[in-house]
Amino acid sequence: MRRRFNKAFFVCFVLFVSSRYAVVTTQAQTVTQRGFVEGRALLFPREAPNDPTRVVGDLLAREELVVKPAPWVQFATGFDLRANSHDQVEDSWRLDVDDRGVKRPRASLRRLTATVTHGPFTIDAGKQFIRWGKADIINPTDRFAPRDFLTVVDTEVLGVTGVRGVVQHRAETLEVVWVPRFTPSRLPLLDQRWTVISGAAAALPLVDAGSDLPERSQAGLRWGHVGSGFEYSLSFYNGFNNLPNVGLVGQVGQVGQVGQVGQVGQVGQVGQVGQVGQVGQFSVLALTRSYPAIRTYGADAAIPTPWFTIKGEAAYFTSRQSGKAAAADEYLLYVVQIERQTGEWMIVAGYSGDVTTKRRSTLAFAPDRGMARSIVARASYTIDPVRSVAFETAIHQNGRGAFGKIEYSQTSGQHWRATVTGVGIAGHSDDFIGQYHHNSHVRVAVRYSF
Amino acid sequence: MSNGCEKGQVGRVGQVGQMGQVGRVGQVGRVGQVGQVGRVGLLGLALALLSLDVRAADNARQIVDEAQKRTDVTSQRYEGLLQVFDARGKVSDKRWTMERLGAHGQSKAVLRFTVPAEVKGVALLVVNHPDRASDQWMWTPAIERDRRIALQDRATRFFGTDFSFEDLEERDVNHYEYVLAGDDTIDGAACWKIQSTPRESKSSQYTSSTIWIRKDNYAFARIENYLKDQVVRRLNYSNIQNVQGIWTAKQLEMTDIRRGSRTRLTLDKLEYNVPLKDEDFTLQAIRRR
Repeated sequence: MRRRFNKAFFVCFVLFVSSRYAVVTTQAQTVTQRGFVEGRALLFPREAPNDPTRVVGDLLAREELVVKPAPWVQFATGFDLRANSHDQVEDSWRLDVDDRGVKRPRASLRRLTATVTHGPFTIDAGKQFIRWGKADIINPTDRFAPRDFLTVVDTEVLGVTGVRGVVQHRAETLEVVWVPRFTPSRLPLLDQRWTVISGAAAALPLVDAGSDLPERSQAGLRWGHVGSGFEYSLSFYNGFNNLPNVGLVGQVGQVGQVGQVGQVGQVGQVGQVGQVGQVGQFSVLALTRSYPAIRTYGADAAIPTPWFTIKGEAAYFTSRQSGKAAAADEYLLYVVQIERQTGEWMIVAGYSGDVTTKRRSTLAFAPDRGMARSIVARASYTIDPVRSVAFETAIHQNGRGAFGKIEYSQTSGQHWRATVTGVGIAGHSDDFIGQYHHNSHVRVAVRYSF
Repeated sequence: MSNGCEKGQVGRVGQVGQMGQVGRVGQVGRVGQVGQVGRVGLLGLALALLSLDVRAADNARQIVDEAQKRTDVTSQRYEGLLQVFDARGKVSDKRWTMERLGAHGQSKAVLRFTVPAEVKGVALLVVNHPDRASDQWMWTPAIERDRRIALQDRATRFFGTDFSFEDLEERDVNHYEYVLAGDDTIDGAACWKIQSTPRESKSSQYTSSTIWIRKDNYAFARIENYLKDQVVRRLNYSNIQNVQGIWTAKQLEMTDIRRGSRTRLTLDKLEYNVPLKDEDFTLQAIRRR
């Protein structure tokens, strides 16, 4: 691990030095830089049952550098530095490369990518971001994009390490992806408000009994076509779900000393950590994560019409047992949305659905499915060049959970932006959205971009 | 340039064809026969006027066509500075680089923001079509995604400026009907004043536009866009310079008359016919910096 870190650090150092050199010796266009420092405060009016903290402060500094020594090759790197008042950041100054930790790393290599282009061919190698899909609400086909779910309603995509090859010829694009090392999504911390355990189990301490990360690689293929007034893609993914199956195991005494006594997790609402049954005999609950092997068959399309643009995206998930990970449900996840820009308004409204074809007795943390069977809408309004407001909502069709967000944002000068966001969450504890009804909050963010 | 002189004469004849100026036609040699209206009947007069009107329209089209031809290039690159002044005089600056391959309705363009820092790297790919509205995609590096932009309403402001998306599209001569509306002077330069109306096939937020084209170099001097009979946006072209043989306005200022705000676009490091490749105008290419 230390060796890997040293290698990455050396490459970054070389890139940095070469970029400084390039600025001095070659055209300005060969080096670009962007970055920001953002301070955030989250204010929760209510305490959560497992988390009395009502004010959380967060700091993120990000720097991205792109060096283009020749028209056919480009190197991109990015670093993050973080601090947090609520123990969401690791207390270690190592440079994290693989984003596999339970907490956010204090210092991390966000990306390190070499891109080579030759005519219609492009190859990206290294830690990078690979995004599939055309919808804005959820992206069932976006399989190479694990996320940070520490705050479930405000997520960020994590990079993956792999190789992506693209060939584009006229209207056709073929993309091949190979990711040898798995990157899981980062789950809510067990002792914080975004982990909700209901029922009698809520009274027991919840401990992290680790993750069983897959060792095998993942691969994907996507073919896209941009036609006259429409575009679509077909995709195939063979790998592992970056969202885990969750094992909740009751234990007596200290974790690791007494061993497992019995499984207490019941299959609950998908997306929740579940309803837990008889727990009286246990003193702690141990949570394990395992990542099921999946295949997805996906499609997405965007069709502009004279009135609005229709966007749709769907993926059919199959699963099989792999290592300690049991086979997960098989299901179709889809989203249909319409989008229209009118005057200063940008409006997106749609429906995300989920059809389970084979239900298996697994408990999973699956926000994508948890948000399904919902009507989702988003609107933004540009007041003037420096001010904007945005609204977003998701309402489960059974009315048991709803989420709403309003955001006001204003820039000042060329560098500063302030954003105030109010998030309201309501619903029942057995609903993926509704379970977070203690977590309505206000977020204030100030960003300095450079 | 000789071509320009010929067009200039055609243009002047066209102007005389306007109804209000028919009384003076006799003074103009080439159309003297129309001045002798007393010798023809009402029907003849009507036909003559109609014929003049058609010729005026033809001539107006020829002027615009010529203006378009004179800016025909295989490619173009510039660095742009967008300054937005609101009604209270507040300024917001944006900078971008623009590369375009092709011209006039059959081109591709990539626009990449460089300032302010928070939008640095945001890129817009525009694929213009001769027969329909352009396709546009935006690459947002902060979320690492490209997305097709819904442009049913091209009246939408471009990034909060006073330019709408439609204002930044290329105006192909065949998308509009033209009528010569007379002579005028803009910034001391003699201009043709031409009324343009979008053809049915070309949906536009504007009911009509008035275009001023300089007689000396066929450069656009001003465009006023109308909603019904009210001017809603005015685009002034200034600092007109000869760049590689093409008369080009290096400063464009759009005023939104209803809001009282204006946006100034200044072109810097402008180059024509630069060697650009087709593969640099794809969704894959806009991901690269």
